[in-house]
Amino acid sequence: MANNIMNWIDKRFPATEFIKHSLTEYPTPKNLSYWWNFGSLAGIVLLLQLITGIFLAMHYKADVELSFNSIQHIMRDVNYGWLLRYMHATGASAFFFVIFTHMARTLYYGSYRAPRELLWWTGQGLLLLLMATAFMGYLLPWGQMSFWGATVITNLFKAIPFVGDSIVTLLRGDFTVGDPTLTRFFALHYLMPFVIVGAVLIHLVALHTVKSSNPTGLELPAKDNIPFHPYFTIKDLFGLGVFLIFYSVFVFFIPTSLMEAANNIPANPMVTPNHIVPEWYFLPFYAILRSVPSLVGGVVAMGLSVVIFAFLPFLDRSRIPGGARYRPVYKAQFYVFMTVTIVLGCVGYRPPTSAAIAIVGQIATVMYFGSFLLLPFISKMEERWLIKRGLPAIVMALINEEAAEIEKHKQKKNQRNGVKS
Amino acid sequence: MKVFLKIALLCSLSAAAWGAEENFEQANVETTLPAIKRGADEVMGNCHACHTLKYIKYRDLVALGISQAKVDGWRGDEPMDAPLKAQMSEADAMAAFNKVPPDLSLMSQARDGGVNYLYSYLIGYFNKPDGTLSNHIFAETKMPDMLGMSNATDEVQKTAIKAKARDIVSFLNWTTDPHAAERIQLGKYVIAYLIVITTLLYLVKRQIWARIKYK
Ligand code: HEC
Repeated sequence: MANNIMNWIDKRFPATEFIKHSLTEYPTPKNLSYWWNFGSLAGIVLLLQLITGIFLAMHYKADVELSFNSIQHIMRDVNYGWLLRYMHATGASAFFFVIFTHMARTLYYGSYRAPRELLWWTGQGLLLLLMATAFMGYLLPWGQMSFWGATVITNLFKAIPFVGDSIVTLLRGDFTVGDPTLTRFFALHYLMPFVIVGAVLIHLVALHTVKSSNPTGLELPAKDNIPFHPYFTIKDLFGLGVFLIFYSVFVFFIPTSLMEAANNIPANPMVTPNHIVPEWYFLPFYAILRSVPSLVGGVVAMGLSVVIFAFLPFLDRSRIPGGARYRPVYKAQFYVFMTVTIVLGCVGYRPPTSAAIAIVGQIATVMYFGSFLLLPFISKMEERWLIKRGLPAIVMALINEEAAEIEKHKQKKNQRNGVKS
Repeated sequence: MKVFLKIALLCSLSAAAWGAEENFEQANVETTLPAIKRGADEVMGNCHACHTLKYIKYRDLVALGISQAKVDGWRGDEPMDAPLKAQMSEADAMAAFNKVPPDLSLMSQARDGGVNYLYSYLIGYFNKPDGTLSNHIFAETKMPDMLGMSNATDEVQKTAIKAKARDIVSFLNWTTDPHAAERIQLGKYVIAYLIVITTLLYLVKRQIWARIKYK
């Protein structure tokens, strides 16, 4: 019976083929570590945000007079409204935590390198969408930090030459953050997650074309690949369980630990909070913004600090495949970069009062960009050093193979040119 | 990697501690029902005159377990579903303080320092050498010293005032998040369940992966 139904469907829609291609026969490297769990985890957190968000939207009111109260209505009167809200607010932080870890893994193992550039770039697009969504969502409770955060950040667009002011007005729907801002942020905050779902599908199509990278950075022979299902479905489910335990600790026991006190005061355009801080996941970028003395420079630096990841496939010039596995210098660079990012996060959290902190922030900013801009030189030097020192045969073979490939290509080209001239 | 994670964790924890710059007195909030009820008495007696608690309705107080008779006494002609308005009108408050006293329903989480801020503020009143009233936490506050800390002369009086302040904080902690107790209770079940299911998933994972031979 079930077989007949499947046959009927398969004649009209490639269901079985799809399941085979992307699950039961999808080849996955068997040496993936738990760091590879975070991709599927991000997908699940996205679903969690969508579902809790849709239910919250049933009770939320996007109106400067009503939104603060509607949040309290959700917290107090709606059945399990407090659970929905805490899950959604914690979920936003969890989402960034998962995505940052996913990115850190990609950096560490060099998974962004050929042939996975498009995969990496779609991921970069996803990060930008996620940031925009989170930023707009933060305005919705209409607390003091919501209002002033949105005011400060939309103000940054003033730095754009000529059209800056018009763009700020367009974003806000008014000259200041107000009711039109709230309603359009709500509309977009509801729309963006679905755009993200679409972008995730593209990300997955790219993934299923180039397949997962693995800790060695080498392309594995077929015998070292195993089907995604059941091996990785169960591994991802176990990972999900571990994640949910941590997530629940936050949701049920310390749900306000990542919320700012000032957001429990309704937005008031007349009173500036004494210290405006963004959410923790924006802190490193915020610190970079503040470390550059001029507004325009700061905005450019902040924008660059987010999109500079996209350039990595070009910046990494090493012929040694992968990331940290065979490249000690690259590994050291990775840890320096992570440390610098955390330092920037701490700097971004502090009020910009002391000169010492400002200097730490500036040094860290230089080191942040240095990690990227010096990579072409460092990776080349590292390559030379490592080849001289001796690399495992398998890696050397790959490098020689690639060199031969390039040589062949060149000769062909020369021949063709020779014929023509 | 592990070492790095540990360092990162330490760093972020110390950053959190860094954030709380001011040193507040520890409120050690009690979340027991008797403490919350005692706090309700104090707030209705001492604070309700000037402050609203607009997210709390009289019905919520009955639901909490305060006797109907007592709540009836507090609400007068107000309906059960009315939010707790201040006895003083906003205009009168403006005239008296040049400021409307803030709503207290979310107050235990509306200042950096949370409940500890609230507690320290309530017991922070003292007389300056020139005889004027001040507060350790909020020096220029326009609110009078309702609990009388600045006039307390001996330790016995001070201890009694601190106990009152703690009860008030207990009540305001409840008004900020009335479902907190339910949340913590549910959280224990959820986490226990997740631990069981995750352990099972781990065992299944081990079993499935045992089929794979490593060289
Ligand atoms: C006589 C009127 C009055 C009474 C009674 C009163 N308050 Fe106030 N309260 C005020 C005023 C006025 C302010 C505003 C103070 C300011 O901003 O200078 C205030 C502010 C506050 C604040 C906010 C302080 C801050 O950080 O901005 C808290 C908390 C507070 N009151 C708690 C209480 C509690 C608890 C009680 C009961 C023990 C109480 N108040 C009783 C008038 C009153």
